[in-house]
Amino acid sequence: MNVQYASLLIALPLISAFFVPLIKRAGEKGIKAYLVIITAIQAGIAGWVFNTVYTTGKPIIVMAGAWKPPVGIDLYIGHFAALFVLIVAVISFFTAVFSIWSMKVQPIDKYAMLLLLLMLGATGMIATGDIFNLFVFMEITSITAYALTAYNKTGEAAEASLKYMILGGIGSSFFLIGLTLIYGSLGTLNMAQIAQLAGNMNPMVAQVGLALIIFGLAVEAELFPLNAWAPDAYQAAPHAITVMFSAFVVKAGLYAIARLLYLMQAVESWHNVLKLLIAMATLTVVVAEFAALRQRDVKRMISYSSISQVGMIAFALALGTQAGVDAGVFHMINHAIVKALLFLGVGYVGVKLGGTAIEDFQGLGRRMPLTAFTLTVGSLAAVGIPLFNIFWSKIRILIAGVQAGYTWGVALILGASVVEAVYYLRFIHTMWFVGEGERVREGLAISLILLFLAALVIVIGVYPNYAWNLAQKAGSDIFNVGQYIKNVPLMGVGA
Amino acid sequence: MLKRALAIITLLIIGYWIAQGLAGVPFGQDRMLVGQYYLDHVKAQTGAINVVTAIVVNYRGFDTLGEVTVLFIASTGVGALLWRRKKERTAKTKGSIVLTTGTRLLVPFIIVFGAYIFIHGHLTPGGGFPGGATIATAFLLLYLAFTQYEIPHKAFEQTEGVAGMSYVLVGLIGLVLGSYFLYDWIWQQWHWGINNVGRLFSGGFIPIIYTLIAIKVGTELSGIIDNMLKEEVRE
Amino acid sequence: MISAYYFGAISLVLIGLYAVLVKKNVLKILIGLSIMESGVNLLLVSIGYISGRSAPILSEGIGPNQAVDPIPQALVLTAIVIGVATTALALSAAIILYEKYGTLNVEEIRRLRG
Repeated sequence: MNVQYASLLIALPLISAFFVPLIKRAGEKGIKAYLVIITAIQAGIAGWVFNTVYTTGKPIIVMAGAWKPPVGIDLYIGHFAALFVLIVAVISFFTAVFSIWSMKVQPIDKYAMLLLLLMLGATGMIATGDIFNLFVFMEITSITAYALTAYNKTGEAAEASLKYMILGGIGSSFFLIGLTLIYGSLGTLNMAQIAQLAGNMNPMVAQVGLALIIFGLAVEAELFPLNAWAPDAYQAAPHAITVMFSAFVVKAGLYAIARLLYLMQAVESWHNVLKLLIAMATLTVVVAEFAALRQRDVKRMISYSSISQVGMIAFALALGTQAGVDAGVFHMINHAIVKALLFLGVGYVGVKLGGTAIEDFQGLGRRMPLTAFTLTVGSLAAVGIPLFNIFWSKIRILIAGVQAGYTWGVALILGASVVEAVYYLRFIHTMWFVGEGERVREGLAISLILLFLAALVIVIGVYPNYAWNLAQKAGSDIFNVGQYIKNVPLMGVGA
Repeated sequence: MLKRALAIITLLIIGYWIAQGLAGVPFGQDRMLVGQYYLDHVKAQTGAINVVTAIVVNYRGFDTLGEVTVLFIASTGVGALLWRRKKERTAKTKGSIVLTTGTRLLVPFIIVFGAYIFIHGHLTPGGGFPGGATIATAFLLLYLAFTQYEIPHKAFEQTEGVAGMSYVLVGLIGLVLGSYFLYDWIWQQWHWGINNVGRLFSGGFIPIIYTLIAIKVGTELSGIIDNMLKEEVRE
Repeated sequence: MISAYYFGAISLVLIGLYAVLVKKNVLKILIGLSIMESGVNLLLVSIGYISGRSAPILSEGIGPNQAVDPIPQALVLTAIVIGVATTALALSAAIILYEKYGTLNVEEIRRLRG
């Protein structure tokens, strides 16, 4: 089958989103069923792409319009992109299933369109091979996220969305200024060609340009100090949408930072930019953990924990070594699974029991034992206890950090993990040992999804080698820029 | 007071740092790499003489697909955020006689002008986006002049969806006919208009895509104006 | 030092950023954001200029060596549309805020939210 059909990964969500105004007549149930079907088809196509890339070992290059890069735009679906496009599609499918119960705020047809386009934006950000195309897909993701944050139309939701929009607007302006500098000095927008010509750049221009681009992407990637929007937005957004935000929207931002950073390895002032990123990442971890300790609302507490883990991923990616990048990618995979599990569980409790404050979780062990069990698995995994998946990725990050010489950073991260253990254990204690209650019926589909994710957490925790191999292949996709340039069929563009 | 001083100092530092970066990219120098390729080959490969249009629709058509999606998200988002069970216009002041007469005279000309902009996108500056915005201006003028005027909301939403779907369909037809997504099959396979470069019937699929974009943008912006101007009906 | 065009564009960006950081009315903050985006678009177009050449429309008399760089102009087309979309959504959020809290002052809203 012609590999250009991988462009269906982008065309399918687009055409299905445009189709929704025409099927408004089908009513709420029809539109929710349509959403589940389309995300299932997208997961199928992503599975085919994943299979092709990992069995042949060569990336799929989709050339839009039959123009070779750099004249046209290409989509580079290598090991990293194939793996994460699959993760995006599968988690969107779970979210679509969850929305059947959890989404009651009208208008549902617009919710379906926005969810499909959020999935499209993250897929495009991960798969693209052109820097301005990355900007366009980043804006698709951001603008959909602004609209979905304010979807519940309460006062808090509107305020959280406005804060997100202002920070996002500043971020995208900075990104464009950085892109102007890079385009001005090199004359091309294609990522492979930028990597090829990076050595010729004036170091001052490269430093300012790259730093501005990283500031711009740091809003999406939730790094300090541009992540002030994240706790409010995660709390005010509908429960299903928070799952998507923390599972893959932030990962797309982190991937973009890593990709652009390593593409410009050949620039002389590269190490200054790395130091800036390490500082931002460490601050993210420390500030988020201490804020999480004081939270009374469980959804907000898990949001702060998510932000601090993202800081750890950024720390690993900014180390500048192959081991660091591999560890960061492995943590991205594990974090996506664990946070999807936690937010789905918490959201389900919110829908069934009406709230997500810590008081609503008292006695959950007796009221909803299956959900409480899976939430416990997720919490233990997030702390980093051995036999669960995050333990392996955290160890690799710490080892890579020590090898690269950042021992003080490693010490801070270890301290933050201790703080994390405190509030997660307090959460588990509340669920099983405080309060009483009657048994509440738990839905079949949601329980299956939660059990599947919990099983993945335990399986990767006990046999990490398969996932670690995937992470290594994906990591070398990012780090090994020489191979990236060779894989893209660049056309010589004259004098 | 302290906050303002701190803000001004931070901004001056940021400005100085960016200026240092810009000093390495002097103004007015010829730094084109890919741009020169576009200028040399645009007439033969796309049939348009407006190079910017050829880049936007043909060479970098993927970006335009994303841009169309962004506008769609804005319109959907405004519709979702300002959604109410029943709404109606609450303007109290009727438009003056100058406004109503002027609107009645001008609206057909504005729509024709907008159509001119997007039909000639491959020959003169403009294209689908300014054309669609001009057409939306005509509707805005109608809203301003007449207190009871409303666009047919449902029809506009469905037109918007159909126009967007047609754009993706054009790209998918390229995938089927030429085995690449967004392949310009009209210029490169069927060779229509190949002797007509510089006149109206050339440019491959650029006029078709721009027509679809203009319809989409016009209906979307009118929909946004309509959503913002209505308020909830309290029983 | 740097050309007047770059200076003007950067000043617009800084003025917009000042309004976003310091002003208290939501509408003024959004106007500041809009000014920032205009400044960035101006900077992008100025990067493509080549002295002594004219617009990239290859009609009579303008050959491929007498046109400025067309790529930044194509990029700005997209960037302007994205700016419009952000502004439209931000205004809708401001409308909801005004309905729920009765004021557009950021500090009042923070106080009312508790």
